[in-house]
Amino acid sequence: MADLQYIRNFSIIAHIDHGKSTLADRLLERTGTISKREMREQFLDDMDLEREMGITIKANRATVKHVHNGREHMLNLIDTPGHVDFHYEVSRAMAACEGVLLLVDATQGVQAQTVANAYLAVEANLDIILVINKIDLPSAHPDEVALEVEQILGLAAEDAVYTSAKTGEGLEKLLDAICEKIPPPRGRLDARLRALIYDAKPDPHRGVISHIRVVDGAVKRGDKIRMMAAGREHIVTEVGKYTPKPTTLNTLGAGEVGYLVAGIKTIADVNIGDTITIAQNPAEDQLPGYEPPSQMVFCDFYPGPGTETADLREAMERLWLNDSSFTYDPATSDALGIGFRCGFLGLLHMKIIQERLERESDVNLVQTAPTVTYEIALNDETVVHIQSPSEMPDPSRITEIREPFCTANVIIPAEYIGALMSLALDRRGVHKKTEYLSPTRVMITYEFPLGEIIYDFYDKLKSCTRGYGTVDYEVSEFRGGQLVKMDVLVNGIAVDALSVIVHRDKAARRGRNLITRLKKEIARHMFEIPLQAAIGAKVIARETIKAYRKNVTAKCYGGDVSRKRKLLEKQKEGKKRMKNVGNVEIPQEAFMSILDPGD
Amino acid sequence: MVRDDADQLPVEAAWWRDTASTCGLYVHVPFCETKCGYCDFYSVPLLEGRETGPLVRCVVSELRSRKRSASGAIRTIFVGGGTPTLLPLGDLRCLFDALGEVASGGEVSEFTVEANPATIDDAKLSVLTGAGVDRLSMGAQSWSVDELAQLERLHSPDDIAPGVLMARRHGIRRINLDLIFGIPGQTLASWSNSLDRTIALCVDHISCYGLTYEAGTRLTAQMGAGRVTRCDEELEADMYTHAIDRLAAAGYEQYEISNFARLGERCAHNVAYWRNDPYIGVGPSAAGYLNGERYKNVADIGRYVAGIEERGEAVLTRERVSGVALAGETIMMQLRQMEGLNVGRFTRQTGIDALSALAPELSRFSESGLLTVDRERIALTRAGFLVADGIISELYAALGESGRGDGSAGGGRAIR
Ligand SMILES: Nc1nc2c(ncn2[C@@H]2O[C@H](COP(=O)(O)OP(=O)(O)OP(=O)(O)O)[C@@H](O)[C@H]2O)c(=O)[nH]1
Ligand code: SF4
Ligand SMILES: [Mg+2]
Repeated sequence: MADLQYIRNFSIIAHIDHGKSTLADRLLERTGTISKREMREQFLDDMDLEREMGITIKANRATVKHVHNGREHMLNLIDTPGHVDFHYEVSRAMAACEGVLLLVDATQGVQAQTVANAYLAVEANLDIILVINKIDLPSAHPDEVALEVEQILGLAAEDAVYTSAKTGEGLEKLLDAICEKIPPPRGRLDARLRALIYDAKPDPHRGVISHIRVVDGAVKRGDKIRMMAAGREHIVTEVGKYTPKPTTLNTLGAGEVGYLVAGIKTIADVNIGDTITIAQNPAEDQLPGYEPPSQMVFCDFYPGPGTETADLREAMERLWLNDSSFTYDPATSDALGIGFRCGFLGLLHMKIIQERLERESDVNLVQTAPTVTYEIALNDETVVHIQSPSEMPDPSRITEIREPFCTANVIIPAEYIGALMSLALDRRGVHKKTEYLSPTRVMITYEFPLGEIIYDFYDKLKSCTRGYGTVDYEVSEFRGGQLVKMDVLVNGIAVDALSVIVHRDKAARRGRNLITRLKKEIARHMFEIPLQAAIGAKVIARETIKAYRKNVTAKCYGGDVSRKRKLLEKQKEGKKRMKNVGNVEIPQEAFMSILDPGD
Repeated sequence: MVRDDADQLPVEAAWWRDTASTCGLYVHVPFCETKCGYCDFYSVPLLEGRETGPLVRCVVSELRSRKRSASGAIRTIFVGGGTPTLLPLGDLRCLFDALGEVASGGEVSEFTVEANPATIDDAKLSVLTGAGVDRLSMGAQSWSVDELAQLERLHSPDDIAPGVLMARRHGIRRINLDLIFGIPGQTLASWSNSLDRTIALCVDHISCYGLTYEAGTRLTAQMGAGRVTRCDEELEADMYTHAIDRLAAAGYEQYEISNFARLGERCAHNVAYWRNDPYIGVGPSAAGYLNGERYKNVADIGRYVAGIEERGEAVLTRERVSGVALAGETIMMQLRQMEGLNVGRFTRQTGIDALSALAPELSRFSESGLLTVDRERIALTRAGFLVADGIISELYAALGESGRGDGSAGGGRAIR
């Protein structure tokens, strides 16, 4: 078993794209863990989607060896995702570590997720090594960036390590800093076993592989273990480490990070954050564990053409067993049939899950526009939470509709303060404070209704700051507001899947935009189609899709009747892909047209 | 030639008559001077030195063998294309000698040939009339020089009247002129002028076709590339309704979406198509319908000739049509006619009770004034004519839904 003195456990954290995965590549390479020949960019990003999108979605771990002061050290690193949707991955990873490398891009400086992730590390009581990366780039200004970090996070600029994850410059210094500044894990090898499950993934042959951090004691093959929260018991069939390929070991002891296989069949049987102990000689107290990730965005998935509800259910179940970060519950819609209401960590997460469902299970989805959770206070003093406008109780029973708020940190160059202020005003933001990171850059804190920023705020921020603005947010609480449910009527019939909950002041504009877009999506019919947006019985926006004036082909192709019939066959297939509401054929795209608030 | 009075009965009477043991004959001659930009019929430009003889001999041979196997008597002949009158005199004579044999039996009541103005002369017309041709269908298309150029037609407005007069001199009394509306750049005034000048020629039949953008044509490609702007839908609708009114005032009755005729001058050959009557088709790309089976010849002169020479036929696809597919075709063809769909005959032909199988759609369309529906007849109204494709498409789609029709959905069965 390894001597704790020579073990270092750390995560690499940063704003998205600041170079975490690339730095991990260099660490694997420099320590001889991966040969130059085997190396590929962002080696640890092994999901297809990660490679295509060039971002990390799941945290990945690897163990590398480094000789420092004549002693071989074992470095357990975890590469984390930078995107805000995957914060929970970062929190989980940190629970397995004593320190973090906080990477900051030397050309971009401190960004919103830099701050958010640094705060997580401080809260978790971890030692932070500040790494200023990408110093090879001509536009790098590492000294100023280090000062920014000092200003906003209080980390001494002079202690920063400068690196290029591209050229490998500064890597030796970084490896030494890791060995010197990150404390070895503390843990009592002689105590009763307590190991934290910080992640888990299914394996087709061996069942679930749990990623664990041993805090006290040791675990080895053959041990009978107990999951302290779940109460289930299993026999350990294998323990090991990722180097980065899985490598079997005899024992994992206190302070070590590795994996454990114990004949657990499905992910559903493993609670991430649970504590593993020895069944015959259990520890007394569980480790703190984690809050489960909370879903913030909801939308419905309905079976699209060629897909049955049963296929979709199977696809959902399969994906969920691979990645339980989303939720799904049965849902029905008058317009779209039987499907599932799903919860996601954010919009990117939603898109990833949708993409994986379609790709990995070959199903076709019709998706409704995403929404946040609303809290509805009823006049019988009860409170309900709804994840779809269609669940809204009758207005006569409602005393208040509350929406989730969040605290958002926005970092921008100071010259764009004006632009940000008008964007924030439009999104009902309440200014909290402004801090200067440097004479030219500021971090402004706002409170926003989550629903105002979760869909497209990031894009709008980017465009009003020429790409320089970044934002991070954290959900705080529900607050009452002037919210109303807006219905959309197509040919006089309210289409449940098109309803939205909006702020009263913005309803008229939102309604107009929605109806205008819908008009573009729905083809002309043989009759005039009124489109209306309404709050209760009051119509706030209307448009009409004019009837066809002329829709008739002249020639009958001589006697070639089959040809004409084939054309009709084709049209018939086309009709099947539409949802028919009140004799109006609504294409699937129309249901997404409410996604973009379009202002 | 003997005329069968049954076809000349007042409309209603003819329409009620069920299919007798009669048969149409369509002959496709796939040559044109040049290819018009909007055209998607099968035809190839007749280049200098191109041999038409082998093709004509094969068409004649196919005609003879098909005629033997057809059950009923041939009542109508229609020679189209392409531009049949473009054939060199020798080949033209060869083809029409064979057709003359068919017509000489005395049972043919209508014998039409398509022609373009400026492709006929006295010698060719004599060949036609000698074989018994009594009706000429001419592609006038427009009386505007610019519009004819846009359509890439080779004749000029000045060729139209002389063409008609020449045909009359040869004793061809029944003449149809084709007109096209919705041409890019066309105005209502110019369309109105084309109609007036056509009416002034006192022809007995006029067809008005809205320009269609068929996939794969030069015109459609030009529109895709933004070089041609499609006629505005409102304007096109105005042109169409103007034609209906103007022609009605001049004594032409609209008996089908695009077809207008003086009393008794409907094109019996086309009417037979729309009634689901059988017909023989010969020549490349020609379609036929015999004994409940639809066939289509290969649309390629080389392969057609090879097929006829080697196997005596050049069929590309065959399809036996029944059940829902037959019902769909019937709706599609018969609703295009002013008289609409005969409910009783529809049931006899397809085994489907249209009134109950399509009840929701029929009541919806009649409520919105697009269809008139009673126990015997389903027909488009004037408003319905304007959106016939949409109505037919919906009725067609509804037929295939489960629990409607006879359940044997899925269209025709391909035989080969
Ligand atoms: N020039 C230069 N480019 C770098 C350096 N480090 C990373 N990059 C590039 O920056 C981009 C992002 O790098 P990643 O390693 O994927 O960033 P990440 O922090 O893992 O990003 P997420 O996982 O999406 O949060 C890639 O194109 C890298 O090649 C560096 O030191 N110098
Ligand atoms: S003349 Fe008629 S058949 Fe020939 S190319 Fe022109 S439109 Fe087509
Ligand atoms: Mg990464």
